[in-house]
Amino acid sequence: MKNSEKLAFETMKSDQSSYVLFFIILLCISISACDSDNLTDPAKMDFSDKKFSGGETTVFDATSHAFSTPAPNLSEEGLAKHLDGDVEFEAVFVTVPAEVNPGLGPVYNNISCINCHARDGRGRAPTSGEKLTSMLFRVSLPNPGGDVTHGPVPVPGFGTQLNNRAIFGVPPEGTVTINYTEGELTTSDGVKVYLRTPSYEIKDAYQPLPDDVEISPRVAPVVFGLGLLEAIPESTILALADEDDQDGDGISGKANYVWDVQKNGLSLGRFGWKANQPTLIQQVASAYHDDIGITTSLLPIESSDGQSQYDGRGDDPELSDEILDVVTFYVQTLAVPARRNLNDPIVQRGEELFESAKCSGCHIPTLETGSLSGVPEVSNQTIQPFTDLLLHDMGPGLADYRPDFLASGSEWRTPPLWGIGLVKVVNGHTNFLHDGRARGLLEAILWHGGEAEQSREAVQGMSASDRDALIAFLESL
Amino acid sequence: MRFNQYLTKFFCCSLSAFLVLSICLIGCSLTGCGSDDEDDEDDVTTVSESEDEAFEAGPILGNYANAIILATYTDLDNKAGELLGAVQALGAATNQAHLELAQSAWKAARIPWEQSEAWLFGPVDTQGLDPALDSWPVNKVDLDGVLGSDQALTEASIDALEDTLKGFHTIEYLLFREGDQRKAEDISPRELEYLAATTENLKAKTAQLANAWAASGENYAGEVANAGTTSTIYKSQKDAMQEMVNGMIVIADEVANGKISDPFNEKDTTLVESQFSFNSIADFQDNIRGIQNVYMGKFTADGQGLNDFVNGKDAELDARFQTEVQTAIDTIGAIPDPFRDSITANRGAVQAAIDAVSTVQQTLENDILKLVLDSNFN
Repeated sequence: MKNSEKLAFETMKSDQSSYVLFFIILLCISISACDSDNLTDPAKMDFSDKKFSGGETTVFDATSHAFSTPAPNLSEEGLAKHLDGDVEFEAVFVTVPAEVNPGLGPVYNNISCINCHARDGRGRAPTSGEKLTSMLFRVSLPNPGGDVTHGPVPVPGFGTQLNNRAIFGVPPEGTVTINYTEGELTTSDGVKVYLRTPSYEIKDAYQPLPDDVEISPRVAPVVFGLGLLEAIPESTILALADEDDQDGDGISGKANYVWDVQKNGLSLGRFGWKANQPTLIQQVASAYHDDIGITTSLLPIESSDGQSQYDGRGDDPELSDEILDVVTFYVQTLAVPARRNLNDPIVQRGEELFESAKCSGCHIPTLETGSLSGVPEVSNQTIQPFTDLLLHDMGPGLADYRPDFLASGSEWRTPPLWGIGLVKVVNGHTNFLHDGRARGLLEAILWHGGEAEQSREAVQGMSASDRDALIAFLESL
Repeated sequence: MRFNQYLTKFFCCSLSAFLVLSICLIGCSLTGCGSDDEDDEDDVTTVSESEDEAFEAGPILGNYANAIILATYTDLDNKAGELLGAVQALGAATNQAHLELAQSAWKAARIPWEQSEAWLFGPVDTQGLDPALDSWPVNKVDLDGVLGSDQALTEASIDALEDTLKGFHTIEYLLFREGDQRKAEDISPRELEYLAATTENLKAKTAQLANAWAASGENYAGEVANAGTTSTIYKSQKDAMQEMVNGMIVIADEVANGKISDPFNEKDTTLVESQFSFNSIADFQDNIRGIQNVYMGKFTADGQGLNDFVNGKDAELDARFQTEVQTAIDTIGAIPDPFRDSITANRGAVQAAIDAVSTVQQTLENDILKLVLDSNFN
């Protein structure tokens, strides 16, 4: 891209007579063969080219800002709204009463959106001795055969999420200690790959927890490109589902149906590690509510209601609808970084292997968005998200044994892969999967089981150069 | 961030021109004028590269990483050490002279920090140091709670608290309270204890930051300096050069459209940065001086800077930008102190500062970033 861009720009600058002459001659020669008016219109550009990962919302940036730039196709008005949302996404909350950003907690996981989703990017598990900052733990009680309409069964005194932090004078709900057991796996050509298995223990609980509490770790996911995912027609996602594996390819794909607060009924789940949120506004409201302790009109009851930490101030909702709206718009309209190095033969080989190993059976490369009301920027785009937004059984190795609506304990939503090669420059780490256990892309691949068993086996059986090519492909995303 | 709006617009225009050219080339071959270039991007590339020799950005990036970034962080760490000494002296003998020395030491430490906001990437972000050093607002309710409790106040106990209870602004609140009218005798023993512990924590964070960049430590400087060769972060010199310019754009945007504009537009003094110390104007100027340092390649000694790259491509642009940056610093400096009063009393002066910084931002976005993206690097 850089060289064509350079040449084209020099041509446009028209300050080099040789180019101008060359250009004019060519234009004259070809005038009857091409309609140059159409070609100068950005609306006629080929945004379906696969380097445009986010269609017209694509940005060309491989720096630490790769995930945090506004979609370039925002209108002036849209950009102003996006930037308002950016400010709110970074707003740090404090204990009430306060002049600026009151309402924190009383129990919470973090004090701002950006503190978990640093640079709109990916969180990770804490290293030894570090505080828990960009990872949290969901909790619930078993619900065998019970009604799942409203999702996981809350733990009395804790709800469905462990708030490990609290304002002064209030007890946090507890903390979690993480231990890893090292294991290894050997590829067919004898290369040992070390895989660590995490285990979790809740400590310092402010009141006793039931013995049968279910715990699910979740690291903060990237937040760019979400408007595009919201704009994918439901029919597209359902067409990819094959719950009973009728085509016999070993891959099913199941839609989650989750509680939609605005609709007061069930909707297709799209967001979160188990696709347990139906819309971005509800995703954002839930994050304010569950993670920061901030109530909104969607979720106006404090997460600590009924617990000893509850403040009973009657100041809910603590966040205005206007702020909820601009933050939702912000995550709907963050740009998607473009792919890089598409002409590298190793990357191209890796892309072939990604298909032949059937990774693309769930990580669907290309999808078309439909129309998202109020967000024309993400509507009718050809995108390269590498997801089907469906649930897949990933086997016992990755299971959290905590069902979430229709998602079983071993089912996870296919996460999008766009931008995955830029996590290191943006967030300074290469920890992947829902709990950050994988310390690199190869480890992440080799943790795949269940419906992805055959794909994992294929990668395990590859030559070293093919595995490297596959990784090079992923790093080009 | 506003600036990248430009990137894809630029790309679209470029692509459109490129497509015109490509299709013209096809047309050319169709009409039999002998070219068989067709639409192969690589063939066109060759033409382009022969026109423009690749620029070796290694010296600029090396100077940026070591003589600007690491040197600024080292200075920050030294100044944090001096602040700690001043705070400890205040604790040992609590009098007005010691308070004023501590206030001066706080302002001195603020200078390298604000300058470093021209590059808020790398360990300062990925190790959570920016929020630990510079969170805003201060959680005054919880601070009062901790001060009123019998909780031990040590570096470790402060470290366990939220970022809104530590860092520059918590120290500022304790040292200044409202402007520089703080009386030494009004500072409680418990506040003095908190000050010492939280300043010790600040010093630990600045040391961590300097170590993260130092060759003798985690050597993040090497990741930037060796872009395109041994760096595991930057695959090309162009990526690192883009990071450099992005950092400057972000702080120009922040100063023009956030730090100055937000309180100015809302006429709300609670939104003013460094409002307890009345240090806002110095903060804003130092942000722009950070841009100047990066651009000129000069923190203490003059080295290879972005100016050396720009000058070789477009000497007029180089001269213009240098003037714009200095003008922005001077125009901010012309706002009467304190800034919190000027947002209502001197609106013309504040608006002039916003405009001057916006000019810097626009030149960075529209001209300098373009020049970087438009060039070939080794």
